[in-house]
Amino acid sequence: MFDELKKLIKSESYFFLITPAFIWQVAFLVLPVLFIIILSLSSSQGLDLVRNYTLHNFSEVMSMSHVRIVMRSIMLASCTAIASLLLAYPVAYFLALYIKRYKFFFLFLLSVPFLINVLVQVYAWFFILEKNGLFNQVLFFLGLIKKPVNFLNSSFAVYLVMFHVYLPFMIMPLYSSLEKIDIKLIEASYDLGSSFRKTLLHIILPLSMPGIRVGFFLVYVVSFGEYVIPSLLGGMKLFFVGTLISEYFFIGKDWHLGAAFICLSWGMLFLSAMMYHWIFNKIMVQSKIIR
Amino acid sequence: MKLKINKYLLPLYVLSFCLFLYLPIMILMMYSFNEGGFPAEWQGLSLRWYYDLFESVEIWRAFKNSLIVAVGSACLSLSMGLMLVCGAKQLKKNIVFFFFSNILIPDIVIAVGMLSLFSYFMVPLGLITLVIGHTLLGLGFTIPVLKSRLDELDYRLVEASYDLGASSLYTFRYVILPFLYPAIVVSALMVLIVSFDDFVIAFFCSGSSAQTLSLYVFTMIRLGISPTVNALSTIMLLVSSFFILAISILQARLANYE
Repeated sequence: MFDELKKLIKSESYFFLITPAFIWQVAFLVLPVLFIIILSLSSSQGLDLVRNYTLHNFSEVMSMSHVRIVMRSIMLASCTAIASLLLAYPVAYFLALYIKRYKFFFLFLLSVPFLINVLVQVYAWFFILEKNGLFNQVLFFLGLIKKPVNFLNSSFAVYLVMFHVYLPFMIMPLYSSLEKIDIKLIEASYDLGSSFRKTLLHIILPLSMPGIRVGFFLVYVVSFGEYVIPSLLGGMKLFFVGTLISEYFFIGKDWHLGAAFICLSWGMLFLSAMMYHWIFNKIMVQSKIIR
Repeated sequence: MKLKINKYLLPLYVLSFCLFLYLPIMILMMYSFNEGGFPAEWQGLSLRWYYDLFESVEIWRAFKNSLIVAVGSACLSLSMGLMLVCGAKQLKKNIVFFFFSNILIPDIVIAVGMLSLFSYFMVPLGLITLVIGHTLLGLGFTIPVLKSRLDELDYRLVEASYDLGASSLYTFRYVILPFLYPAIVVSALMVLIVSFDDFVIAFFCSGSSAQTLSLYVFTMIRLGISPTVNALSTIMLLVSSFFILAISILQARLANYE
């Protein structure tokens, strides 16, 4: 009896090995997400949180002001992702294909900002953007402004710092896909007489497309729900998705509306991500036709 | 002429890129050594904010909480990740993808979901709920790192160990574990950094009793600029860049072994 049990445990050992992590994942990731969906479809009564299934929350959330906030977050995420893609690509190219020496040093230099506390980075920007900060001093020195401008609590500050914080997120996927390119292909392209521009467009860019996709969608999705930067730099009036969610859950205490808003905003995020996916595919097809 | 531009343009661009990435942090560090209270004016070098920092009881308490949470979630996610990766190897199915969602789902959704679920089941918020949340984040980091390392293991070594009569535990201890060792250290350091840096999950799931270092920094920033926060940020920066240096050295060594 005991031997058989032992045998069973041994032959099915993978089951016991994978269970804890799976249970953890289901209990603390899948269930909470499902619970948000349940919350969005119900209303509370007294102390009972889940009672009376309705669609009322959604009809309330589907207003113009909410949709405008979601659109604002989509705009912010798009700008962050596109700008960081364009500006990080040359750096990833430099790391993967250009330098031979000091590569380790540069890799370290560019991976430090990736893991620095976001709060510290936001706090550091205070010193540049505040009234007597560096930015104002430089603009004053150049004669562009007469008196100090407060850059804090504006959408400009939010856009700038978002871009700064999410740049390093873009470099690593781009670097790892550029690194994998067989250098012989590039050499062959040069040997056959094509210019740098042609090689870039027809060899390097198409081969690094997986990295571009991963980097773009990573930055796009993660920056969409950003909470810290808008709440510290956006001021009281400028709401984004992340700040409005925390408003619902902390200050308004209306969890059902908050949950409905999460569902609405992530639905719109999904649609816009599909749109970008479609655009990427279109670009891929186009570039093949040109070749 | 054109060649010359190509030669110098790219390194120059990368340098200015790095400058842009590091400029705010440099200024922050500089002001932590400022004698004056209001940070806009430079009044000479001093370490007085560091003395303030080490004397503050609140910061030490927050640091202790952060340390407990970070070490706890690192241990938990590492052990569960190791078990899962080994189990998945035996199962020969790619179930690891299930855990990529931990990084892809924005942490505010995870945080809000856990907050509402915990309060629905009347679980008191505190350090334990925080460890739960950070372990979840940690699984998303440890499992891909461990899996990619385990995939490189020559499976004949394991088979040889079994053929020579070793038990599965013995094989794990003397064949698999030494091979995974660098990856284990890398992922443990990553979880430590992620847990120390996380703000959103701590903000929603820690309740009022457990204040972590990130929460402390957030409340201080809300109150305005204070040089003590500069000193604290400088120390946090130095510690995490030291960790990152260790990670990159280990990873470079891993790449060289192949």
